[in-house]
Amino acid sequence: MSDRLEVAITFQVPGFDLDVAWSAGGGVAVLFGPSGAGKTLTLSCLAGLITPATGRIVVDGRVFFDSAAGINLPAQARRVGYVFQGYALFPHLTVADNLGFGLRDRPRAERVSRVARVVEQLGLGGLEQRYPRELSGGQRQRVALGRALAIEPALLLLDEPLSALDAPLRRALRDELRQVLSAVGTAAVVVTHDFTEAYRLGDRIVVYDGGRVVQSAPRAELLWQPASESVARIMGIPNILHGTVIKATPDRIQLRWRGQILEAVNSPTHSYLPPPEAPIAFFIRPEYVRLIRKDRGPADVTHHMNLMTGVVVADEDFGTTWTLRIRLDAPGPPDQGDYDLQVEVPHLVYEILEIERDRRWEFSIHRGSIHVLPA
Amino acid sequence: MSPDTTSALLLSIRVAALATLLNAAVGIPLAYVLARRRFRGRGLIDLLTTLPLVLPPTVTGYFLIVLLGRRGWLGGPVYQLTGWSVAFTWYAAVVAATVMALPLLVRTAKAAFESVDRDLERAAYTLGRSELRTALEVTLPLARNGILAGLVLAFARALGEFGATLMLAGNIPGKTATVPLAIYTAVQTGEEPTALLLVGVLTALSCLVIVAANRLGARAT
Repeated sequence: MSDRLEVAITFQVPGFDLDVAWSAGGGVAVLFGPSGAGKTLTLSCLAGLITPATGRIVVDGRVFFDSAAGINLPAQARRVGYVFQGYALFPHLTVADNLGFGLRDRPRAERVSRVARVVEQLGLGGLEQRYPRELSGGQRQRVALGRALAIEPALLLLDEPLSALDAPLRRALRDELRQVLSAVGTAAVVVTHDFTEAYRLGDRIVVYDGGRVVQSAPRAELLWQPASESVARIMGIPNILHGTVIKATPDRIQLRWRGQILEAVNSPTHSYLPPPEAPIAFFIRPEYVRLIRKDRGPADVTHHMNLMTGVVVADEDFGTTWTLRIRLDAPGPPDQGDYDLQVEVPHLVYEILEIERDRRWEFSIHRGSIHVLPA
Repeated sequence: MSPDTTSALLLSIRVAALATLLNAAVGIPLAYVLARRRFRGRGLIDLLTTLPLVLPPTVTGYFLIVLLGRRGWLGGPVYQLTGWSVAFTWYAAVVAATVMALPLLVRTAKAAFESVDRDLERAAYTLGRSELRTALEVTLPLARNGILAGLVLAFARALGEFGATLMLAGNIPGKTATVPLAIYTAVQTGEEPTALLLVGVLTALSCLVIVAANRLGARAT
């Protein structure tokens, strides 16, 4: 499928330099990264509220901006639905007038029917005559989305659409937002610094850092194959570890870590072939570390890969799961300060295995659960 | 009430009302531009509109004579062409009151415009509104109370104007003598009852204005 959205822009302000290029097919593209990475600035350029220094923005074949060709559509002509971070509802207008604000130039009948459709679509019935200050946070979010959808936008932009809400509502609205976005089918760009939100909402995730795109990939690919250690850190992945390469082939990478020899699967799409003795970063998801039960006899080396032993030096109760911090039985300083590995176990497992009392464990990690990070 | 007292009161109200209207016409757009646009010369305009607040009114009045008097930069050519000069007419009192009141309106209205969330204007642009229509439909209604408070203050300032009016319009009873000037004349000539009456009226009006401005200011926040 051809790209519906092509973005290549540069913009400079004192102390900050934005230089990004990415493209996306249909569906939702999420701009993900720490605050101050240039995500909101990119949205402003897409909406035509800020003019980039150079570059090109094309949406569904319509050129919004092209510095080389001297094209720069004003914001008013772009038909972009923008949901602002604080929603930016007009406080002096009712919900109905807010929803219809972008339809002022349409015939009255069309205006009324479009507002009615958005009210229906977003469950805003009965609130039409209220003012924004009389709405709950979730209702405000819906009105802001509805106001943007009412103009039947060519492109939807949502800046941290859920950040103003508290946690339980946030989760509910996240899923609702996902449904609405896929139902309307408009190309959308969502800005967030929360990876769970990025993953739930996005078909493609574009990772921003310091005014640059550090990775742009379909969400599943990003989840399992961050392009570098810094992308993995921005994503907040725990257990980013450092070892030395023994041998790398297109399917497998053998590496040395804390006196152990680990075997990892090489990336299926972008195999990475560092030379022997090269330093290598990799990560292990805490929920993919398997503790070996002691009541079933000694561990079978042929069955359990990457076997290690260690001591639980700390643990934290997260309600439904426990997080254990394990220090390996190996000389030298641990990889992550005072521990080597963070392991997540379900609450039930924690109780059955009596981990609170029994602190020394043998564990294994499947080679498919060790993910190498290109340097 | 003597004819001069009555005419002073009527003149003052007429001058203050006209000065307030002129302030609205000039000051509100000026405040919007100062609050929202960045352009060369912005600092200079800001300085010029604020200056009458700081300068002694007689100095402002002197500048107005230099500009509008019979031999002034602007007033000179007009006088030579038409034989008419604004100086020592009641229009001069309006000009003096307008210039003296402008800083109060511009500063209050500028703050009111600046307090409007810029994202509201940006939202209006993405929804197809031009900058002018956004200013009229979004920014102005949301800054309304601050602007009204500024207009009330401007009216009060215009009503009490003395120094600049004396310089440009003179103190001609029945023609350019507004209430503050009439009070001065009354005190100088020993007409205590007239002075007391005018002082009482002006004080009462000023109290009303302060109450109105406070109410509007409280609603603005």
